[in-house]
Amino acid sequence: MTANAALISPAISSGLSSQFSPEDVQIDIRNVGKVYGSKTEEPVVALDGVTLRIRRGEFISLLGPSGCGKSTLLGIIAGFQSATSGQLLQDGRPITRPGPSRTVVFQDYALFGWMTVQQNVEFGLKAKGMGRAERAEIARALIAMVRLNGFEDKFPHQMSGGMKQRAAIARALAPDPDILLMDEPFGALDAQTRVLLQEEIARISSEAGKTVIFVTHGIDEAVFLADRVVVMSPRPGRVREEVLVPLPRPRTAEMRSDPWFVSTVNDLWETLKPEWQKGE
Amino acid sequence: MGANAEAGAMTAVPDRSVPATRKMPWSRLLADKSVRAGLGLAAFFAFWQAVTGLGLVDGFLLPSPFAVAQALWDMAVDGSLWIHLAASLQRVAVGFLLACVVGLALGLVCGWWRSVSDFVRPVVEALRPIPPLAWIPITILWFGLGDAASYFLVFLGAVFPAFVATYTAVRGLDRNQMNAALCLGAKPWQLFWDVLIPASLPIILPGLRIALGVGWMCVVTAELIAAQTGLGYLIQQSRMLFQINNVVAGMVTIGLVGFAMSAILERIERRVNAWAPSERN
Repeated sequence: MTANAALISPAISSGLSSQFSPEDVQIDIRNVGKVYGSKTEEPVVALDGVTLRIRRGEFISLLGPSGCGKSTLLGIIAGFQSATSGQLLQDGRPITRPGPSRTVVFQDYALFGWMTVQQNVEFGLKAKGMGRAERAEIARALIAMVRLNGFEDKFPHQMSGGMKQRAAIARALAPDPDILLMDEPFGALDAQTRVLLQEEIARISSEAGKTVIFVTHGIDEAVFLADRVVVMSPRPGRVREEVLVPLPRPRTAEMRSDPWFVSTVNDLWETLKPEWQKGE
Repeated sequence: MGANAEAGAMTAVPDRSVPATRKMPWSRLLADKSVRAGLGLAAFFAFWQAVTGLGLVDGFLLPSPFAVAQALWDMAVDGSLWIHLAASLQRVAVGFLLACVVGLALGLVCGWWRSVSDFVRPVVEALRPIPPLAWIPITILWFGLGDAASYFLVFLGAVFPAFVATYTAVRGLDRNQMNAALCLGAKPWQLFWDVLIPASLPIILPGLRIALGVGWMCVVTAELIAAQTGLGYLIQQSRMLFQINNVVAGMVTIGLVGFAMSAILERIERRVNAWAPSERN
């Protein structure tokens, strides 16, 4: 593993998280493990000793092949499920349940089909007990931010996949979370829509200044968006290496042809290929 | 939504094409759903009239549609039809509402907490196959020959479909949607009224429509034996008086009212669940 990391480039190394000063750390994942077990079957180790420190405002990509536990890790950070071992802290306090400081964007959008876009975006504001007029105004601003103006009164089934995901992003931003968790958000979209939404996310995340944890199996997407790419390996899910991305933010389309970007994506592909082939 | 579009198409067609109507009205007319429904019913009554009118069946065994219509008219004019109809409707309403309350509550609880359903479902599944008819003797023993017996039998018929639909709906809720609501900070009331209930309605409402249909059949069954009013009683009473026209008139009323109830609920379903995949196309 270390041999591979050394091969890639000087920017890539392991154990970067230990370099932060403690007050920067927003999410502190210490030696987290997750075992899915039943009495009858062999227990499955989904995560094994994952340690990761995430700074405030950092954009992290969790990259890995399917089955590497990256979505499980995201679900644990969200509070949907609990870790079997280890510790998980947000601003020094343990994460025990889901809450509006960590909102999630799902691959299948998970929009409320019986609500209009406006009502979907207002949901988290209503939960806060905000008044009708105020939440309508905030929701309209967010809908404009994701460029869905004019679609406020449409229902999810009346929109394309890309538009649904824009609505879901606006909904997740509405409660003004500290951390935005994105679980393969563009996995169900066609290639062109995906590229457009990647650029949107690059813009929105710089504008909103949120900490983002972005789960993906797309190498170029992971590198294009993140400040730091955390590469995971499967069975059991572990952090394999971390790649710091030196490209300036906000990211723009032309950075995709930057020599560093191109060579990093290629190098990552070369290192990950054997595992991807195994996982197939 | 679908109903509106349909109504729109029906009014729009003649407006646009007065000359076209003369040219080729038939194929377009036949494409209309309500025209097809009307034709189907007309064919049924025509066949009935033919069978009775041509003397293939003795008029005492099966009266002609016109004789039945005459009997209906007479009972409507003297008011007895309305008294019996109102009695039946009131019974089905009370029994159905009871069934909704119990079926929905139990279905929600069992759908939400697996451990509760482990206890409750075997009991439900063992009671469910007993037909309401088999309950009649013990019902009369418990409640006598009053309205309460009918309420109970309607309740028995309707409660199981209501329960099964609610249980299935809650069981099948999208995990991600619940998680989305939770991470957005949803309070318990919001999770219930804004997520769980609307997400379940596409399955619950058709279940309630079936429950009402079963309840309507049960009320007639109950009235045949354990009541002094109602459409079931009307049929039974007329049979004993050899008024075969009134017997069939009572049956026709039961059929039409059941049809109307189902159609009304289906309309409501289409409005409420317009967003759901099952209600589109």
